[in-house]
Amino acid sequence: MNTVRKFRAPNRLSMLVRADGGVMAKDALAAADAALEPLRAESLAVLDAALAEIESRFGKSAAATRAAGVYQDLYTLALRIIDVSGFLPGSCVDQAAISFCALVDNCAEADAWRWDAVDVHINALRLLRTADLGPDQRRAVIEGLNKVSQRGSKASEGL
Amino acid sequence: MREPLHASTRINLEKVELLLVDDSVPSLNLLAQVLVGFGVTNLTRADSAKAAQTLLRERTFDLVISATNMAGVDGYELVKWLRRGALEANRYLAVILVSGHTPPSHVFKARDAGANFTIAKPITPKIVLERILWAAKEDRQFIECATYLGPDRRFKNDGPPPGAKGRRREDPPQALRPPGAQAQGGADPEKVKP
Repeated sequence: MNTVRKFRAPNRLSMLVRADGGVMAKDALAAADAALEPLRAESLAVLDAALAEIESRFGKSAAATRAAGVYQDLYTLALRIIDVSGFLPGSCVDQAAISFCALVDNCAEADAWRWDAVDVHINALRLLRTADLGPDQRRAVIEGLNKVSQRGSKASEGL
Repeated sequence: MREPLHASTRINLEKVELLLVDDSVPSLNLLAQVLVGFGVTNLTRADSAKAAQTLLRERTFDLVISATNMAGVDGYELVKWLRRGALEANRYLAVILVSGHTPPSHVFKARDAGANFTIAKPITPKIVLERILWAAKEDRQFIECATYLGPDRRFKNDGPPPGAKGRRREDPPQALRPPGAQAQGGADPEKVKP
């Protein structure tokens, strides 16, 4: 028989957070924003480097060699873009990278690359990063990417 | 429904021993900067789950914020281990996971890891602070059974629909429905005879 125990665990965080002193949330948020600012240029450089590495290892220019690529490597590069894309609010770069992760995960599950879909994601990421697009256009790009990344997946087949 | 963050809410993170875990250096740096901005002074960084496990065996922390997608031991496995294998004083501490992408194959693993909350990347200071406050105000009981140890995975107290698998003795006999809504499926197995 599976015994289930329910109990109240001590929450040290609760006591510490309520201690006298501290700051108001609005001030904490302002200080965090200010603390992030010095990392902006460095983070965008990380994003651009990840995108460049994706293109050089998994893009059309690597057509002759990319089939030997490792799913996890591309997945990790797309994750790196998500990590730092908070510096591009409203750009939808983060959503494109999330769709890319979903695509690579589906490819890994099926153990088969879908290069047309990979190329579409790379082009879309480059476009969202560099082009002057309106919010509707960016949303349309993401909707298209999500359809592409989910095509053929178990989720899209209702499994 | 958890309380949204109010501008005037006071928070003191000065004495909180916080362990931050991520194998992505840019991500680790961003989160660390946010936390320093919040006034965290006792911040320990670990660049892998293995390094975090070593620290959690040796030192007491008050909050862990960990990435999920990490090479080797991932964030879900780290939390699952923490709840049973860490220093006794660390087993029930608040844990917030930060995830860039959750593959469908990991959804159950995520649910069953035993973390308090999950944040989606890219992180924003507002969401991070809100989740820390939620973790500080955590009122869910801990559940321990053969397959799970962590905060109750239910955020509401309705329970599954009457007749469905997984209902508990203390679940309300009628699931909380909008006024006037009809029960589905005719006979209600939970209905008490007069």
